[in-house]
Amino acid sequence: MTENTKMATGVWVAAVAFAFLLPVICGYDKYILHVGITIAFNIALATSMWLIWTLGFISFAHAGFMGIGAYTSALLFTSLGWSLWINMWIAAAVAALFAFVISIPLMRTRAVYFFMASWAVGEVIKRVFAYYRGIFGGWDGIFNIRPPKIDIFGLDINFTSRVAYYYLALVCCALIVFAIHRIIRSRTGAIYWSIHESEILAQHVGINVLKHKVIAFTTACFFAGMTGALYAHYHTYINPKTFDIWQSEFSLVHIIVGGLSTLNGPVLGATVLTIVDELLRPAGWYRVIFFGVVIILTVLFLPGGLETVPARVRALVARLRGRSD
Amino acid sequence: MQLLAIDDLSMRFGGLTAINDLGFSVDQGEIRGLIGPNGAGKTTLFNVISGVYKPSKGSITFKGTEIGTMKPHRTARMGIVRTFQSITLFKNFSVLKNVMIGCHLNSNYSYWGALFNTAKTRSSEQENESRAREILEFMGLTQYVDDLAANLPHGHQRALGIAIAMAAEPELLMLDEPCTGMNPDETAEMVNLINKIRDRGVTILLIEHDMKVVMGICDKITVINFGTKIAEGTPAEIRKDELVHEAYLGSDFDAP
Repeated sequence: MTENTKMATGVWVAAVAFAFLLPVICGYDKYILHVGITIAFNIALATSMWLIWTLGFISFAHAGFMGIGAYTSALLFTSLGWSLWINMWIAAAVAALFAFVISIPLMRTRAVYFFMASWAVGEVIKRVFAYYRGIFGGWDGIFNIRPPKIDIFGLDINFTSRVAYYYLALVCCALIVFAIHRIIRSRTGAIYWSIHESEILAQHVGINVLKHKVIAFTTACFFAGMTGALYAHYHTYINPKTFDIWQSEFSLVHIIVGGLSTLNGPVLGATVLTIVDELLRPAGWYRVIFFGVVIILTVLFLPGGLETVPARVRALVARLRGRSD
Repeated sequence: MQLLAIDDLSMRFGGLTAINDLGFSVDQGEIRGLIGPNGAGKTTLFNVISGVYKPSKGSITFKGTEIGTMKPHRTARMGIVRTFQSITLFKNFSVLKNVMIGCHLNSNYSYWGALFNTAKTRSSEQENESRAREILEFMGLTQYVDDLAANLPHGHQRALGIAIAMAAEPELLMLDEPCTGMNPDETAEMVNLINKIRDRGVTILLIEHDMKVVMGICDKITVINFGTKIAEGTPAEIRKDELVHEAYLGSDFDAP
């Protein structure tokens, strides 16, 4: 057990080190860095969605809350000229505030009713952005959102540079993943999983289930809002369609393919599938069909997802060795 | 001393009256049996007391406080903890972790303390673990500490259910058919366990269909049928009661 934990830590450290060295390795290739930034956003979205899953819920409104963060940050920039450094936190707080208010009725529903209710919430968020043209720019969205600059202590970095933004996205993504790791590893995480296992039993040993559900949902949407702000200032242009149900569904596929039982799952799934998605870019919207096939194949042939691959390989090696002896 | 008092309690689901003007009280330190034919409203009563349902009428007082409108997590905090008729565990957790979650109420939990893993959190986690181990030893489950709850044999899963409840340090423990599906040996073990729990000063309210068990360990028995109390008294008195015989007509009520 400890051996495995040590190895997992080792793999994590190696992965982060590789991510930090990637710009040098790829020779500052703009396209690869763009894929790297997309992976960082997808990981942040998938892991925060996974945080809600630890209580047994899949929220299709998750990308909607990313949208709330993105629009908040974009509007603060276009109307007040504030930079991402401040907007990011306000965006996260605004997304969390909406999440808090909505989750109080939403988290009273269960199972398939929750899916439908969260679906509706996600759809409403998108439609609100599309409907109020005066504020949100309708289906056209908001343009000219600029990346921030740093100009202190003689340090002068402009984040219009791809490399600089890559590091910004990487650091934020790492912070989000680390924060969720801490939450899940603590007693809070044990409480979340216990609610997942048996809500009624958790209640009867004195756990205020609704309170924990609301806190988890709000926390997850805080991170989603933060991701949204980073997304907006990277792409410099946002529209409602970016934050619709499809985005939530892609994150769900990332989680299922990666694995549902540990934090490794969403990180692994988001990384692998974003790369595959980029490779399939010429196929256009047929990629969606591919994603459907992938999810079915995973459920059939790799239940538990990519995170179970090392254990499967170990078991296979052990079996082969046993046979040769 | 009176611990739990139920007064004029009714629970209706639409047109169905599951509990009808029920009233009785439980004294501190006793083992009270709750019997009645299937569908008499026993489990519904547990659900109302523990807060799963809000009563349609009447009052439930625990240690002088009205608890009728409290949710399960609040009644648990008051000191009322229950087990379930169908085995309810955190099945994919280890046995130890099951009981550690049960310790929740006494674990000084705080969100930020847990997040930053403060010294206070660490020491209370350690305390939790040793308390959980102590309870598992008391329940005779020490051999299973690291096993998955789902892998335990039936009788020991029931015992684990009670261990989780005990971890919440109840004053009133409500057991819903703890001996169902057990062989005579397991049943004897369970009876022994229930007596030991009472000796710790925990009051017990027990639903059980096994008449040997009920007659053997209860100080007093309340009989309900169609949601109302039809008799109450010591096991000897209940055995003689005519109304009870009528309710149980056709069953092997006086076999023991």
